[in-house]
Amino acid sequence: MATLKRMRPLLGTFVEIGCGQSDNNAEQAVSLAFGVIEKIHYLLSFHEATSDLTKLNQAKGEALEVDAHTLRAMRLARGMTIASAGLFNCTLGGTMVRNHVLPNHGGASASSGSANDIRISGNKIKLLNSVKITLDGIAKGYAVDCAISTMKRCGLAAGWVNAGGDLRVYGDCVLPVQRRELNGEYVALGGMKNAAIATSTVTTDYDDKFPGKIMSDLTTPYLGSWSVMAHMAWRADALTKVACLAEASQREALIASLGGMIVTPQGVFH
Amino acid sequence: MRSVHNLWLLPVAAIVSPVYAADYLTAEQAQKVIFSDAQSFEAKPVNLTSDQKDKIKSLSGVRQRWDTQKIWRAVKEGKTAGWFVVDEVIGKHEFITYGVGLTPEGHVVGVEIMSYRESYGGGVREASWRKNFVGKTLVDPFKLDEDVPNISGGTLSSRNVLDGVKRVLVIQKVLNLKE
Repeated sequence: MATLKRMRPLLGTFVEIGCGQSDNNAEQAVSLAFGVIEKIHYLLSFHEATSDLTKLNQAKGEALEVDAHTLRAMRLARGMTIASAGLFNCTLGGTMVRNHVLPNHGGASASSGSANDIRISGNKIKLLNSVKITLDGIAKGYAVDCAISTMKRCGLAAGWVNAGGDLRVYGDCVLPVQRRELNGEYVALGGMKNAAIATSTVTTDYDDKFPGKIMSDLTTPYLGSWSVMAHMAWRADALTKVACLAEASQREALIASLGGMIVTPQGVFH
Repeated sequence: MRSVHNLWLLPVAAIVSPVYAADYLTAEQAQKVIFSDAQSFEAKPVNLTSDQKDKIKSLSGVRQRWDTQKIWRAVKEGKTAGWFVVDEVIGKHEFITYGVGLTPEGHVVGVEIMSYRESYGGGVREASWRKNFVGKTLVDPFKLDEDVPNISGGTLSSRNVLDGVKRVLVIQKVLNLKE
């Protein structure tokens, strides 16, 4: 079957979009899907000085009207912060800035807060107690989901989006997936169909090629590569953070209760 | 929330590749993706002098490694619609060829990765393929053109390509590529 595959530098990484047809409609649909990802990048990036997120973090407790994507992503992030009892915590922006993981766009900031510090009403969001929001643990996955929705709406029967390892595939299509391990090996995970997977890596060796860093105010992340499968990419993305922070004895059950499952090269844990 | 019990990872045929590599577009295809309205593309490769290379380095902060830069003029109705530049990023682990479209005024129209190679030296651990897939078969309902696997892993930064695009914008300025 002919396929169409494109890659662009977006979301701070390399985004591949592919589909199972290669006609003009496919070319246009893939281009639209990249457009959606670009839009979400400029709305939800902590790095962009003019993103919705940065404006919100600078709003000093004032309610701010935001884009529908920002609203949706904030609802998901807030919900996951509550559901995971703070293992996933979108209010850690201040801590990340203090540790030079994220840039400082000015203003006072608390180290971290809780979901209660995020007030959502209509299309407005208000942040309390000087918390700074980071959506780094969820925005890539959310962008992947939105790109997939666009492709479906354009009538593409099958396709996939891979945003730097946050990957979702749909339709009559089995996508072989490998994982890049800490030691540089690639290891097969299997063929994926109608599902999403994400991987986070926790390492003590800083490598500016892989600048992502997982932080928590509750516990220290466990070293290793953590992959989680789920129906939606935003959930897989967020749950990799929960996976590397959860107690080993509770990890699989906790991830399953939050709608995901841990994947290792040895198999899948429901 | 839907149950996770209907999520499956299926066995697939073993793909053993020492590197992750994918080709996306030829230069000709990338030109058409970025400048879909253009009627023709004139090749205008440039040989940079060492003065120009120094200037590019000082203005962009990125070293110009090679003397020849592949450049095309995109033409629409006899006029310059923009410029298309092919560039490369060679890192410790990655080799990326990409195309950049620029307006005559010096704005980025689009960036398309043309080919992407990643090598972390370790190769594929064959044992794990065997462990997972021996004795299992799968009739793919959908056969991908090339069985190039997708990679899930720590997020690879695209900073080097964005720095490259900055350098390409400076090249346009130094060479005075306008109308």
